[in-house]
Amino acid sequence: MTRKSATIQGLLWTAPWWLGFLLLLAIPMGFSLYISFCDYPLLQRPVFIGADNYRQLARDPVFYKVVGNTFIYAALAIPAGTVVAVLLAVLLNQRVRGQALFRACIFVPTIVPLVAVGVVWMWMLNPEAGLVNQAIRPVGQLVLPAAQALDNATNGAQWSQPILGVAQDLAEGPAWLDRPRWAMLALVLIALWLLGSPIVIYLAGLQDIPTTLYEAAELDGASRIRRFWHVTLPGLSPVILFNVIVGIIATWQIFALPYVIWRSRSGPEDATYFYTMYLFDNAFKYLKMGYASAMAWIQLLIILVLTALVFWASRRTVHYRGV
Amino acid sequence: MTTRTTLLVVLLGLPAVVLLALGPRGQRHIPADRTVVRYWEKWAGVEALAMQRIVDRFNETIGAEQNIWVEYCVVSNVDQRMLIATAGGDPPDVAGLFDHIVPQYADRDALMELDDLIVEFQIDRDTFKPIWLEIGRYDDKLYGLPSTPYTIALYYNRRLFRAAGLDPDRPPQTTGELNDYAARLTRYETSDDDRRRIVQLGFTTSPGMLGWWHWIWPNFFGGRLWDGQRFAIDTPAGHAAAEWTHQRREAIGNPEMLKFEGTTGAIEGAQNPFLSERLAMVFQGPWMSNWISKYAPGLDYAVAPFPSATAEEHHAFASTDVFVIPAGSRHPREVMVFLKYVLQQDVLEELCREHGKISPFRAPAPDFYATHTNPFIRVFDEMAGSPDAFGYPPMPTWAHASAELLKMHENILRGVRDPDEAVKATQQRVDTIVAEYQRMAAQRRGDRRDR
Repeated sequence: MTRKSATIQGLLWTAPWWLGFLLLLAIPMGFSLYISFCDYPLLQRPVFIGADNYRQLARDPVFYKVVGNTFIYAALAIPAGTVVAVLLAVLLNQRVRGQALFRACIFVPTIVPLVAVGVVWMWMLNPEAGLVNQAIRPVGQLVLPAAQALDNATNGAQWSQPILGVAQDLAEGPAWLDRPRWAMLALVLIALWLLGSPIVIYLAGLQDIPTTLYEAAELDGASRIRRFWHVTLPGLSPVILFNVIVGIIATWQIFALPYVIWRSRSGPEDATYFYTMYLFDNAFKYLKMGYASAMAWIQLLIILVLTALVFWASRRTVHYRGV
Repeated sequence: MTTRTTLLVVLLGLPAVVLLALGPRGQRHIPADRTVVRYWEKWAGVEALAMQRIVDRFNETIGAEQNIWVEYCVVSNVDQRMLIATAGGDPPDVAGLFDHIVPQYADRDALMELDDLIVEFQIDRDTFKPIWLEIGRYDDKLYGLPSTPYTIALYYNRRLFRAAGLDPDRPPQTTGELNDYAARLTRYETSDDDRRRIVQLGFTTSPGMLGWWHWIWPNFFGGRLWDGQRFAIDTPAGHAAAEWTHQRREAIGNPEMLKFEGTTGAIEGAQNPFLSERLAMVFQGPWMSNWISKYAPGLDYAVAPFPSATAEEHHAFASTDVFVIPAGSRHPREVMVFLKYVLQQDVLEELCREHGKISPFRAPAPDFYATHTNPFIRVFDEMAGSPDAFGYPPMPTWAHASAELLKMHENILRGVRDPDEAVKATQQRVDTIVAEYQRMAAQRRGDRRDR
């Protein structure tokens, strides 16, 4: 077989992938980059307007609001999700009776359609009848006297007001979906319920940590906590890095849950209006495809920068075996 | 290619080819030689069945005579899908949209003008109440024909009126009176742990609770949001409406209201707070009676026009679903044959009755009222004839302006912003949106001229 015919045959065999890549990804992305410099209401021809869309974005207060909201959500959901997922994975890795059942229970929410998840949690977070508030109220009523005492002791200092406010909300049962203070937390709470996929990946990562390391640590007298800190976490660090990056991408694309829960509205005082929702509104409600494309490219840049930052920050803390 | 590879290709490829050639097909029995008209509509459930019956009758009669077959297809988010299909060069032939979409889509060349077609197909526009054709018009051109119109009125619970010492035969006559009634109809309860909660609410403009028309209130104070060129919320009517909604919420209590809102469920169901007698008055359309007869058949209620700021004014919100022909429709003439059939008074009134809507005709047939499921249908119908009747602001940037108005309304309700400040800020924001749109539109027109 000549080199030329080998190349042709190689291209033919790989055609399903590269054709798909070209037609469904590369060309649409190129077009989207072009129309981000155009006024394009979908049915009329795109009109080139230079960097106008980007300039408008720089002046758009809603843009900054959604960027801020998405950052806050990512900053809450990713660390909380990582901690909870790692701890649950470690627990699910213990050899106990019913291990498979526990694993299945943790994973099941992941396969529930997001619309159903949204509806179920709307009831769970119902301020009067919701299970979450039923559980929280007694805690709030315990905390409230302490918060009131603190407020009295500081003569109602400004910094003690938010603490008192939170304690009062907890004692009454927060209006989770109707108060900006609680709406974001509600979403983070729901995200924690949907951690099945990263937990499965952490479980796989845990199997990969050599048992000899645990045995050596045990012989050296390391306690369970020290073994977790010095063996499990470093061993899991590449998996944590992977899940954090996937988490960054997922949180920056959050759409369906807030869209269902707040019925396509932007949440209390815009508190749950996220980047992708505003992008969708610009594209399909306001028919500003150029503007939406500009947003999409900025979103890509933000995710790239955040990913690069995570890689940079992790260079000393992620341990690759054999490297 | 080796024998093994060939065998593999045949084993994998053959079943695929057989499946493609002989596999199951959709249940379509379209007679040969018919021109297929694809009709996309948002109605599902009972509403879809009513339209499907009409489509079937058409296919069996006029359709058979003229070799046309209408294929009814329920499509969610029909406006967005229609637009994308149109952009992709494969639009439906006819679609059912909400009227407020018409200016936005017409201004972007997504819809076909219908003026000449309705003349050619002899659809008599004089049989319709003028407002229903006016709503489908944009920039002096007709783009939408009315399908199932409605007005919105005040439903009130007569039993709760009596319990609050109010005359159940005298609904509120002004917005001020509505506030007084609402205050008397609102009841609270304090639990053992000193938590105060609303057990019965008089009235709310909250978008989170049956308040689909968050933008509407300035109209009842005599304002109109669009004058053809300029959006206008920073007006005496806009400020009066903002103050009214703010006072309404202040009187109820914001934390209590947020909790109450959180406990209400789906609108179409027994948890609808008006149906469960937790809400005494509600701003809703004629279809509400269908839910009442299904979920609360014993409810003692009545319907009245929604009050305006003064008893002399009779502002009434009128809206309609519309038939449109997307730009690029392959069979517009066949569509017109179908629409001429549907727009016959007996056919369209059958549809409107089954949807719980009003009749778009100047003189509804006597049996329309007699057989309608809503016992107060005449109230809704008379409102459409009011000289103060108004529809959605016919502005091409309405989707965006409406989102801004929603934010304004919620900020006022929650006391996040002073009502006057919120109104002024919204005026500025929407002015920017409209100016930006007009600048882009001018640029597009210039670009078209250059080509």
